[in-house]
Amino acid sequence: MKKSVYDYYIITREHRALRSPLSAEFVSEYTKTDLSPDERVCRRFEIVCKNEQPKIHPDEKIVLVRTVCDVKDCFSEEEWAEIKKDHYIHELGYVSNLSLDYERVLQTGLLSIKENATEYQARVIDAIIDLCDRYKEEAAKMGRNDIVEVLTQVPRYKARNFYEALQFFRILHYSLWLEGDYHNTVGRFDMYMYPYLEADMKKGLYTEESALELLEDFFISFNKDSDIYPGVQQGDNGQSMVLGGSDLEGNYYFNTLSKLCLVASRNLKLIDPKINLRVCKNTPVEIYELATELTKVGLGFPQYNNDDVVIPGLIKMGYAPEDAIEYTVAACWEFIIPKVGNDIANIGALNFPQVVNNALRSENFDSFDDLMLSVKAGITAECDKITSSINNVWFAPSPFLDLLRSGRKYNNFGIHGCGISCAADSLAAVKKYVFDEKKFSLERIIKAIDDNFESDPELLHVLRHEAPKMGGDDSDASTEMSCIITEMFADALEGKKNCLGGIWRAGTGTAMFYLWHARNLGATADGRLAHEALGTNFSPTLTAKVNGPVSVIEAFSSQNFKRILNGGPLTLEFASSIFADDSSISKVAALIRYFIARGGHQLQLNAVNADVLKSAQKTPEEFRQLVVRIWGWSAYFIELDKEFQDHVISRQEYTV
Amino acid sequence: MHDSYSKVSGLIFDIKEFALHDGEGIRTTVFLKGCPLRCIWCHNPEGLSPKPELSVKKNRCRNCGLCQKGCSHEECKGLNRCLHICPDNLVERIGTYIDSDTLARKLLKQCDFLNACGGGITFSGGEPLLQHEFLCDVIKKLKGKVHIAIETSGFAPSDIFKKVIQLCDFVYMDLKIADKEKHIKFTGADNSVILQNAEILKSSGIPSTFSVPMIPGITDSEENLAEIRKIAGDTPIRYLKYNPLAGAKYDNIGKEFLYKESK
Repeated sequence: MKKSVYDYYIITREHRALRSPLSAEFVSEYTKTDLSPDERVCRRFEIVCKNEQPKIHPDEKIVLVRTVCDVKDCFSEEEWAEIKKDHYIHELGYVSNLSLDYERVLQTGLLSIKENATEYQARVIDAIIDLCDRYKEEAAKMGRNDIVEVLTQVPRYKARNFYEALQFFRILHYSLWLEGDYHNTVGRFDMYMYPYLEADMKKGLYTEESALELLEDFFISFNKDSDIYPGVQQGDNGQSMVLGGSDLEGNYYFNTLSKLCLVASRNLKLIDPKINLRVCKNTPVEIYELATELTKVGLGFPQYNNDDVVIPGLIKMGYAPEDAIEYTVAACWEFIIPKVGNDIANIGALNFPQVVNNALRSENFDSFDDLMLSVKAGITAECDKITSSINNVWFAPSPFLDLLRSGRKYNNFGIHGCGISCAADSLAAVKKYVFDEKKFSLERIIKAIDDNFESDPELLHVLRHEAPKMGGDDSDASTEMSCIITEMFADALEGKKNCLGGIWRAGTGTAMFYLWHARNLGATADGRLAHEALGTNFSPTLTAKVNGPVSVIEAFSSQNFKRILNGGPLTLEFASSIFADDSSISKVAALIRYFIARGGHQLQLNAVNADVLKSAQKTPEEFRQLVVRIWGWSAYFIELDKEFQDHVISRQEYTV
Repeated sequence: MHDSYSKVSGLIFDIKEFALHDGEGIRTTVFLKGCPLRCIWCHNPEGLSPKPELSVKKNRCRNCGLCQKGCSHEECKGLNRCLHICPDNLVERIGTYIDSDTLARKLLKQCDFLNACGGGITFSGGEPLLQHEFLCDVIKKLKGKVHIAIETSGFAPSDIFKKVIQLCDFVYMDLKIADKEKHIKFTGADNSVILQNAEILKSSGIPSTFSVPMIPGITDSEENLAEIRKIAGDTPIRYLKYNPLAGAKYDNIGKEFLYKESK
């Protein structure tokens, strides 16, 4: 990639100035009340394509950038309200969070696909081909014969080489976003793309170096329009890429393209694509070390996924072995099956600490076991409430996306498990002080929770700073509780069917619920004050004094993940200073291998410097490129709401 | 608290996981409390006193006054502060008595991990040799199960020095100042026994490295470093960068930081 391309799209972002909103006149053409939903979505696609202006940077290789912005929804708020009367609408109501069959389309081309397409699908295919033809004309005007040649072949026909395959992918991905589908993941990119690169390298068309250059140009394309993609915060856009992986026999695959993707991400330091790495006990040390080089630059990539746990876990849940080995991750960390999966992996969230708080005051307990029965009943009731509230799910039509599906074999729903460490620490504290040592009465704890510890500072100190914590002192006591409540979660969902005939999956992720659940959550028995945020995903409580990363790994890799496998990683935050000397790479890599060997399911490491983050809050203009990891994605720090910024600053940070 | 059944009990002030700079591989470092030297640049002042002591992190204190209201805890007697009330945990007792069995058991839990990544356990301080009986007792319980290193100032009677290093797989020993008078001036002690122990270490055949803290204006002179190289002979030397943030911890324990870096 040429530096000028990076500067244009990333530093100065001049391309954003070329955008203009879609005029009201055009909007009215696809929002007329007498139009069917299919007609609206299709017509909007056609209109936006027609209004798009081909813009090519003179030095770029991979083209297509959005110039039409502020594209209004196909449906009015009133219409959505009407739809919601009879249907469950997931998030924005458009299809999201799937990993599609790019591979098949790259191998066939859109014209071939069109032969079996519906009327609407044929129209969107024509619209995107027309836009690509206008790009081709623009390229011809600029004398860019390389682009002309590529666009003569794709998207009409199959990709014949690495360059065409990358450009074709860009066209497909661009079209998904344009249609309104979101959290459009990238899937096992190194597996379906490598045959093109391998063949080209055999022909002598690329060296690793020149392939990397093209790959970097391609990586930029994920960042051209990402500010107009929908998400809870800037950066929450689901462009997840998964690298590496093993088969059922435990053979591990990691090819030249896998390696180049890690290197490209490290070189570019961009928040997209979001890099995931599948590993297993047979993954060579060198791959961990290469991946740690990426961790070192501070993007929060890669996220590690343990095949030794995930594949058998998915099979246990009912996924066919040949599909389980193909698993990838959704927007953040939810394990999903590419091509044939239709799971909604983030449809709800269980608020563990709220369940514990309710249980504590439900009756007078003679024993801790009685209390745990009440916790179990609470978890079951909460799960029942969530599962029974989701019926008749409706999505806006997605003619283009449907072209990239190769089935709807799996229709499972996933529920996040939020605040596990807070709930586990709370229960361990109650067990220790109320039932074992009889130091405090349960009434005293409940009263303190009710008045946010204001009248009982002594209790606050003990619960917050001296009580058992996962990863801290007396970690085993808390960890045991986390094992019990996660099993209860799995039990509560076991055997339930959802409205699409699929199962319900329990998970350890939080998504944004670590803030949302905390807003209405009173104080908790672990000494957390009312409204204080919970930990992101499967991580220690923010105020817990942990013993260090080894103890944290031990605490957070002890659970039966095969039963709580919706996804949600342990997050370790390292001070960036630990990477100061070269030997730290192999040492951090050894720590990751320990986590994998212990049977942890998912791990995410950050290299952060709290001082830098605080400075960035004060003078944001000086830190425009500073990247941090949020909950399952990375973002430019200064573009986040302060609430999210503060949480990053207050997370555990290990120094040496 | 002394455990009645334990043979030997010691005082430690921290156990640090994932130490990357205290020897080979990833290590867990145990800090033993108490040191006979008084190096004016000391960056672990909480390791100096051989007794538990009070630490109050005043810079984050909200002055709520809770810790000074009086309490009935046995362990708070005579401190004029309560250890069990601060909402931000700024009032702490530094130093925990632990018996050798308990400590060894705690450390053994991490051995699989430490062995797997070519690391081990390091005993540091303070001056670990000050609690040599406790130290030897713990090391004997770990011996052969995990790699053991020690970080010592070398300021200890030679028979004790010899006894301890023979139990270790690796020894880091400080060589701070070669000149006797300057050594007395800046560390409070004569270095004769240190030099004697350096010779013992060199001839012991135990893998070792001498550590030189690079204190601006005191140890980092070419003259001193040349002398130290002479003393070290064939034994490798590592030079430790001065930590400019060292002074911050003194205030917490009510001590004064005497070293001022001058340009």
